Amino acid sequence: MFLAMRELRHSKARYALIMVIMLLVSFLVLFVTGLAKGLAYANISAIENMPTNYYVVQGDAEHKFRRSQLNDSNLKDVRAIVGNENATPLSMQMSTITATDLDVKADVTFFAVDMAGPIAPKVVQGAEISNDTVGSVIVDRKLEESGIKIGSVISDQQTGMTLKVAGFVEDNSYSHTPVVYINAHDWQELTTGVSQKGATDHPASFNLIAVHATSDQATSLQEGLKGVDVITQKEAIASIPGYSEEQGSLLMMIAFLFVISAVVLAVFFYVITIQKTSQFGILKAMGTKTSYLAWSVLGQVLLLSVSSLVVSLLMIGGMKMILPESMPFQLNTPTLILTSSLFVGMSLIGSLISVLKVAKVDALEAIGRVGA
Amino acid sequence: MTTAKLVMKQVTKTYGDGDSTLSVLNKLDFQVNEGEFVAVLGPSGSGKSTFLSTAGALLSPTNGEILIDGESIADKNKAELTEFRLHKIGFMFQNAQLLPYLKVEEQLLFVAKIAKLSSSESKKRSAYLLKRLGIWERRNHYPEKLSGGEKQRVAIARAWMNNPAILFADEPTASLDFKRGKEVVQMLADEVKREGKAAVMVTHDERMLEWCDRVLYLQDGILLER
Ligand SMILES: Nc1ncnc2c1ncn2[C@@H]1O[C@H](COP(=O)(O)OP(=O)(O)O)[C@@H](O)[C@H]1O
Ligand SMILES: [Mg+2]
Repeated sequence: MFLAMRELRHSKARYALIMVIMLLVSFLVLFVTGLAKGLAYANISAIENMPTNYYVVQGDAEHKFRRSQLNDSNLKDVRAIVGNENATPLSMQMSTITATDLDVKADVTFFAVDMAGPIAPKVVQGAEISNDTVGSVIVDRKLEESGIKIGSVISDQQTGMTLKVAGFVEDNSYSHTPVVYINAHDWQELTTGVSQKGATDHPASFNLIAVHATSDQATSLQEGLKGVDVITQKEAIASIPGYSEEQGSLLMMIAFLFVISAVVLAVFFYVITIQKTSQFGILKAMGTKTSYLAWSVLGQVLLLSVSSLVVSLLMIGGMKMILPESMPFQLNTPTLILTSSLFVGMSLIGSLISVLKVAKVDALEAIGRVGA
Repeated sequence: MTTAKLVMKQVTKTYGDGDSTLSVLNKLDFQVNEGEFVAVLGPSGSGKSTFLSTAGALLSPTNGEILIDGESIADKNKAELTEFRLHKIGFMFQNAQLLPYLKVEEQLLFVAKIAKLSSSESKKRSAYLLKRLGIWERRNHYPEKLSGGEKQRVAIARAWMNNPAILFADEPTASLDFKRGKEVVQMLADEVKREGKAAVMVTHDERMLEWCDRVLYLQDGILLER
């Protein structure tokens, strides 16, 4: 690194310039990655946070939850294979709610679940509801931003049915809307307009069955049951409307940014290396090993990419603090580590042609040269 | 008894293959002894660069044997030759060819570093050489701040830094005026005597020969005294 460091010292402006470019690119990479993760989370957190790992949907529903319809006999078949407590029905419906006394109108997704089952909402504030409760719901905390509090009364715009907010859950979004958990009894009234007497743990027909199963059990479900599809949590998330398209375009942006950073670096270092061809010849004639010179180039690239990355990580950290809560932005440590190492890796790939060029320079070029 | 620092026996160098071959060196014999400073002259195209590259272990001869400090370089591979040049051969190039981003002292410390000299030892030796060549005051300057003559003096110091057996100089005065050129050649001659080493200088400038022990002319692929 003797040469590498001194060269940086001598040509500060030149290397500062490329560092600024790398800084901007790496910042953008991190920002878009955070945005993609944040949007993904806002889209599918309700499904992602479910403890169940498989979902049984109707065979011709193309894996789309809301298009699927199953009934009690399906549930019985599933439970026969995985056990009663490992399979629970889920019904969902998109809707718009308003709140009395509040100037609020929000799109939500109703989730009707067995309040004693495995996917019952985990209340973080307020009271839980049971299958016997009448007229109460658990809502995603995001609705708090619109002014809804525990005890607020919301009403379904279409049916006019009013429901009291009993408690909040966190990180429960579906298709970018907050989830409203409702029990089977109230679901019946919401969807049919008829209030049934007595409690039940699930409606007669529902969209899907959430299952906690081993992969062997999943295979026997798929083989044993007619007219249904058994899909993994990943497949379920991928078929949430808009999810794949949204993530796909963001991923493409990220991929392009990675390629851009590699290409910019490659061109920059290649031009510098070409300029220094005769210097490398001289160095080799004097007895400098090719490996030393190659490491010198790689060392510079590594130093520039890592230091610009560190600065952009600090900038991202600072920006996260001033971003509004509602901004979907999420960067956890594993993602940060992955993105950072990819960035450094791409930089090194970009410097490879320069290293090859350095390796090719012949010591012979040092002799008989008049030019510098 | 004098020891030979460089011996070339029946060295031939042929460029090209098939029907168009050009023998630039043709069964050339040459010897340089300890304490000797030899000049090799020849017009452009006579093969001076080829001669220097071959003698300096940069270019392998088509035929013949080359011994530097008693060691044959025939069987060495590329990496071994690099290592060999580092320890046994000092080079001076046209236009000095200092690294633009190293200060004067660092030019010397760098070659010591790749030869794995200890840093205190290399500091001592670089100070000694820079003082003797009268550029100690310039040790913290970049090459761009030096005159052509000063640059070549740094190049002399750099070439001697690792205590090589022999120094090869490729037209060291080409870019200097007469007075500066003469100074540089004189210093080079002084160093050869003082270090008890040997040097071969290739030049086409007949006015620079005052301090040389022998002057040889490269003609038709061999070295002749005139
Ligand atoms: N790599 C090479 N391939 C073919 N011919 C070469 C090569 N290098 C030099 N020559 C030829 O060898 C002759 C001597 O060249 P050179 O050693 O550079 O002479 P000088 O340094 O005295 O000008 C010239 O005719 C030149 O064209
Ligand atoms: Mg020449």
